[in-house]
Amino acid sequence: MKIGSIVFAGLILAVGLVYEIMALNMPRGRLSYPGPGLFPVIIGVFIIATALGCLIQEILPRKKTGESPPTSPVPTQDSAAPGGRNVRKTFQLMALMIGYTLALKPVGFLICILAFLVIAIRIFGYRRWFPALAMAAVIAGISYVSFVLWLKVPLPLGILEEVLG
Amino acid sequence: MDLFSGLIHGFSVALTPMNLLFGFSGAVIGTIIGILPGLGPLGTMALLLSLTYGFDPTAGMILFAGIYFGAMYGGSTTSILLNIPGEAASVVTCIEGYQMARRGRAGAALAVAAVGSFVAGTISLIGLSFLAPTLAMAALKFGPAEYLAVALVGLIIMSRLTGGNLLKSLMMIALGLALGTVGMETVAGYMRYTFKQPLLAQGIDFLPVAMGLFGISEVLVTAEEPAGNMQLQKVRFWELWPTLVEWKRSFGPIIRGSFIGFFVGLVPGPSPVISTMVSYSVESRLDKRGEFGKGAIEGVAGPEAANNASVGAAYVPLMALGIPFTPAMAVVMAVLLIHGINPGPLLMTEKPDLFWGVIASMYIGNFMLLVFNLPLVGVFANIIRTPLYLLMPIVLLLCLIGVYSVNNSILDIWLMTGFGLLGYLLRRLKYDLAPLVLALVLGPMMERSFREAMMISRGDLSVFLSRPISGTILLVGAIVLAAPLLIAWIKPLIRRKV
Repeated sequence: MKIGSIVFAGLILAVGLVYEIMALNMPRGRLSYPGPGLFPVIIGVFIIATALGCLIQEILPRKKTGESPPTSPVPTQDSAAPGGRNVRKTFQLMALMIGYTLALKPVGFLICILAFLVIAIRIFGYRRWFPALAMAAVIAGISYVSFVLWLKVPLPLGILEEVLG
Repeated sequence: MDLFSGLIHGFSVALTPMNLLFGFSGAVIGTIIGILPGLGPLGTMALLLSLTYGFDPTAGMILFAGIYFGAMYGGSTTSILLNIPGEAASVVTCIEGYQMARRGRAGAALAVAAVGSFVAGTISLIGLSFLAPTLAMAALKFGPAEYLAVALVGLIIMSRLTGGNLLKSLMMIALGLALGTVGMETVAGYMRYTFKQPLLAQGIDFLPVAMGLFGISEVLVTAEEPAGNMQLQKVRFWELWPTLVEWKRSFGPIIRGSFIGFFVGLVPGPSPVISTMVSYSVESRLDKRGEFGKGAIEGVAGPEAANNASVGAAYVPLMALGIPFTPAMAVVMAVLLIHGINPGPLLMTEKPDLFWGVIASMYIGNFMLLVFNLPLVGVFANIIRTPLYLLMPIVLLLCLIGVYSVNNSILDIWLMTGFGLLGYLLRRLKYDLAPLVLALVLGPMMERSFREAMMISRGDLSVFLSRPISGTILLVGAIVLAAPLLIAWIKPLIRRKV
């Protein structure tokens, strides 16, 4: 994860620099009457300083005695899972969410959520198509009744607007 | 309204059928998510935040209090029976609780955990009832300098206590503060970091950020973990009664855990988790039987009491000062903010129904949890069998619908997805998410306080140090920040002298 940490800290440093340049272009006012740019200027410096600190910390070789392993019996939330991780699922889920967001307005909530659920159920390891479709249809139906009909959430109906609207 | 008339008024609010229903629902939902690994109370509250839009704010607060307390109760069940902590605050309970279960004392461990949670919850609520109004009265003397000092020092203490790398935590605070500056600035109406997008003029809403960072990222992390096989131990109702010796051994740890949890809960940071670790550490040091690690009941009673006590205490700074010290309290605060209510010292006088109603509902919720958790322990434990392929898509579905329903905005879904990915990366790179979220919530208030303090003092920066309360608070912050450096510097000097 070291390269990942270096890239991430570098990215935040770049974000901090852009943020600071934009803040310097805002009216800063005086200390007795601060303008909208003063607080962002301070925060920009804070981001740059901490990102630089993280970057240096990641790049410099760590002293062997410096960081002792945690002695607490409590595992952190990031403990590596036994058996290894399946990063592919994360990418699939992210792609699925992006697809859902893009299709929501034109296609409509009901079709989108049905497709979303079927694919999500399969991503999470359930392989049989028909039961997955049946489960997705039931959940989509319940969510339509609860959110659209009962709670009156104006979810876009898309191509089903004329049928359901 | 004094304490007792306030509490009586609170009970009259909390005992209405609708509020009782919300309290009960919160307790059940909390217990369930406490049992299920992967979705903690914070993620659930973020998930349900959009739904509270349609509720009365008191009902929303009661629902969330039930969830928070319920999660602490539920977390112990699977820790003891399966060695699987439902949420982070129950990890310590696994150590002794599961060993007790292996020795056939699962029922006793569950009963002691439930009763200890109830006692500790009640003690912390008594503390909350006394302390919150007193602190609120004192906070009426606070000016902008004091508010800035409390928020700043709160963030500093949190960055020190989260247990991770200090620089990383500070970077998260900086990012959170930066996100808080996006949108139309309130004094001059100046647009900051909106990139000419009118939808960003209102700023980055807390809801998509919280749902993304805590809800979506939890699903993404869970998706990667390989599913394990679990063997659920059956516990019969008559086995739930500990022996007299076990009760005697649990009494001290429960009381100690209650006080540890309450005081740790007042400090910014992930207090439920820290309080369990402190309590476990204290109990293991007091152990004379050498039973720790082999199923010592003290190791269940103390930590389980501590995590519940910390929940009640976490409400003190929010209800009295309007400043959340934990991410969960930031979500609770959002319930009020989306209804246009600003929590703070005036909440008690301006909204007595809400202030006292919520506190009274916690007493009722705590009692409800004890009554239904113990007999239904077997039913609740079976919830863990819910397959992930069904649970996780439903969580995602609720996130997608929930975040859209607040502003009917596709932008909010994009923001949630983006912050979900960011949250996932931050978890994998071992960054703590809590400082980012708290800084986002506190940022606008800190900027407002800073500008007001500067205007009042005519640009004199020493105002933060010259005012006694803000000066003292900032001094505490400086000590907390510098303490490790000072210790590292002093230690070798002492060793050399020895």
